[in-house]
Amino acid sequence: MFFNSLSFAIFLPIVFILYWFVFNKNKSTQNSILIIASYYFYSCWDWRFLFLLVFSTFLVYYTGIQIEKAKKESVRKFWFWLTITINLGLLGVFKYYNFFSTSFSDFMNGFGLQTSPILLNVLLPVGISFYTFHGLSYVIDIYLKRIKAEYNFVDYSLFVSYFPLLVAGPIERATHLLPQVKVKRDFDFQKAKEGVFQFIWGLVKKVVIADTCATYANAIFDNHESMNSLSLVLGAVYFAFQIYGDFSGYSDMALGMSKLFGIDLLRNFNYPYFSRDIAEFWRRWHISLSSWFRDYLYIPLGGSSGGMAMKIRNTFIIFLVSGFWHGANWTFIAWGFINALYFLPLLVLKTNRSNMEMVSLRWNLNSVRVFFNILSTFALTCLAWIFFRAKSIGDAFDYIKRMFSNLSFDAQYLENERYNYELLLIIFAFVAVEWNFKNQVEPISGKNSWLKLSFCLIAIVALGTFSDYKEFIYFQF
Amino acid sequence: MKKFIGFAAKVLILILLLLALLDVLYTVVYLQASNRGKIDYVYNSKPRIYDVVILGSSRANNHFVTQLFEEKGLKAFNYGMSGGHLFEASLLLKLMIERKYKIQNVIIETDLNLSNEKRAEGIASKFLPYIHSSRLIENHFSQEDDFSELFYIPFYRYLKFDSSIGFREMYKCLTFQPTNTLKNGGFYALKGNNGKMKNNLSALKPIQNKYYEEIKQICADNKINLIAVMTPMCSNTKGLDYFKKANKIYPEIHNYENVVDNDKYFSSCGHMNNEGAKLFTSRIIKDFF
Repeated sequence: MFFNSLSFAIFLPIVFILYWFVFNKNKSTQNSILIIASYYFYSCWDWRFLFLLVFSTFLVYYTGIQIEKAKKESVRKFWFWLTITINLGLLGVFKYYNFFSTSFSDFMNGFGLQTSPILLNVLLPVGISFYTFHGLSYVIDIYLKRIKAEYNFVDYSLFVSYFPLLVAGPIERATHLLPQVKVKRDFDFQKAKEGVFQFIWGLVKKVVIADTCATYANAIFDNHESMNSLSLVLGAVYFAFQIYGDFSGYSDMALGMSKLFGIDLLRNFNYPYFSRDIAEFWRRWHISLSSWFRDYLYIPLGGSSGGMAMKIRNTFIIFLVSGFWHGANWTFIAWGFINALYFLPLLVLKTNRSNMEMVSLRWNLNSVRVFFNILSTFALTCLAWIFFRAKSIGDAFDYIKRMFSNLSFDAQYLENERYNYELLLIIFAFVAVEWNFKNQVEPISGKNSWLKLSFCLIAIVALGTFSDYKEFIYFQF
Repeated sequence: MKKFIGFAAKVLILILLLLALLDVLYTVVYLQASNRGKIDYVYNSKPRIYDVVILGSSRANNHFVTQLFEEKGLKAFNYGMSGGHLFEASLLLKLMIERKYKIQNVIIETDLNLSNEKRAEGIASKFLPYIHSSRLIENHFSQEDDFSELFYIPFYRYLKFDSSIGFREMYKCLTFQPTNTLKNGGFYALKGNNGKMKNNLSALKPIQNKYYEEIKQICADNKINLIAVMTPMCSNTKGLDYFKKANKIYPEIHNYENVVDNDKYFSSCGHMNNEGAKLFTSRIIKDFF
């Protein structure tokens, strides 16, 4: 059940009505209906994985309490490492086992030792990376005595399984979400209205931008051997907007619908393609994951405190792990590595925190430089996305090689029966809207909101892609 | 909450109004179109006179060379539609009759398409802009599972089939951009020969097809000579007894599956190239005209 599906359009209003009109007595009834809805939502993918979700939830809930209760440090450590090992073990088996098995076999074959990998024929449980990271942050925070363990199982379950964030984030923190589920939510019209607007804007990003870009990006990436330079450049740009529209659109829908239930989720995107350097990009892209890695990996590894060599080492570690988190493929690791390389000069020159506030342009020479920085950061990002999208590292290098060696910039007719340049107008329009409203969460709120809402609805129904339906990319992670 | 219910109701009304408005807009545009494809070419047409009308799927569209009929002095048009099934062929013929076309002969390709009565989404959707303005189209779709949604929910059909009748197609109709579908009397020639070709028809089973029955009935009612033919497949085809099975159900269908047997005349296993199509059409003309 996807957020942009007809079944979800029926599911959401039913949950909304039950939540505010039937189960509105206290926070326990409110949380209970949200948990039931969340488990139903999750079971719509594959009910068998519901047991895995419940098991993971119960494990972290129970060990969290044991860590808090333990008097001895050794007992605390035991429960801590037990839950970390089991959670990462489950993630490893379902997501990474086949990758390690195949890589090991390839490695041995490289030395002339013929081995064939033993592969598991299992599906990847949807959202496993997200709910595992929810649980890990919670248990780490308890272990480090930053928070108290949650003794109410329903409240804790809701923190992990809340359906708007269950399958693709944002990756919430206990310090942010748990206090909200511990109190009864009262209906706030303004918040709910903002939620509706944010949900609709997310839908625009998904069906108008992401799914439309996907048809072009797929036609170009899947046939890159026969594409000219212009098509290859546009293919990378289209994929950049596909993944942005897809994931930030999903996040907007999640945040928007959550506001309907009176719960605020962490902001996940903040106009990343207007970044002036790659450090700023990573402060604006998938913010909940970047900050998770910062708080639970980069800082525990020593962060920036141990001199330049340690900073560089730690930076490479978090980018490589971040790449690997996205998927069990060398292409994702290469994508992480490239981003670490981009980060390196900023780190060495200590300019990685020089662009903290939202960009603005004026009619002066400095703005020309800023504009150039935005374009070059976007170009670097697109180059890295090629590795993220390609089927193999070899394909990615071949794609880039052809991009710079073909040097033909003619209009090319693609497999999707469209010309390569046809989507540019819609991309420019989208960028213009985002630029104009970059200081607010979504562009619909504010003056003339009904007019803007009408335009968005027209865009969704008239320009959206519905027949060539695409799943959300981040569901596979 | 009251305020929110009011707000949600307004949003819903806005959505419904926009859907209705867009539905009218798109439909009006499609009602003006007549150079985009074979369906609008027929739907928005005046009476025409033909000696030969060709119907069927791509195996009609790519196999019957209209020009050869014309050279023989026969006014012909190839209305075969790539990807189409008999569902669409039958409806197209009904529309022609409704528009008072005078037709002497209908050649219908009836072979692989006999195996199902489903509509071909990509082609059938091209009729949908006219579903409210044509009782014929409405009736033809009325037995379909999603008829209610397609007929009663404004703009739903344009959403569901956005790749064939969505914004892009509507815009091209609005700006009168022609396609090459109607060139060469509707015949589309395939080029070349891709070498390794094979096909397996073992899974297909011919059935008593209600749309073929409809076509037979329409022709009988309107005194049109119906010529049903099966067209050639490449040599590396498994399950060729399909054609014999089809003939058992419908003995009147002329089996021309093996009249072109050299693979150099095929572009792909189920589709002859231009040279193959010329050979095949010449044989049909020799036998029937």
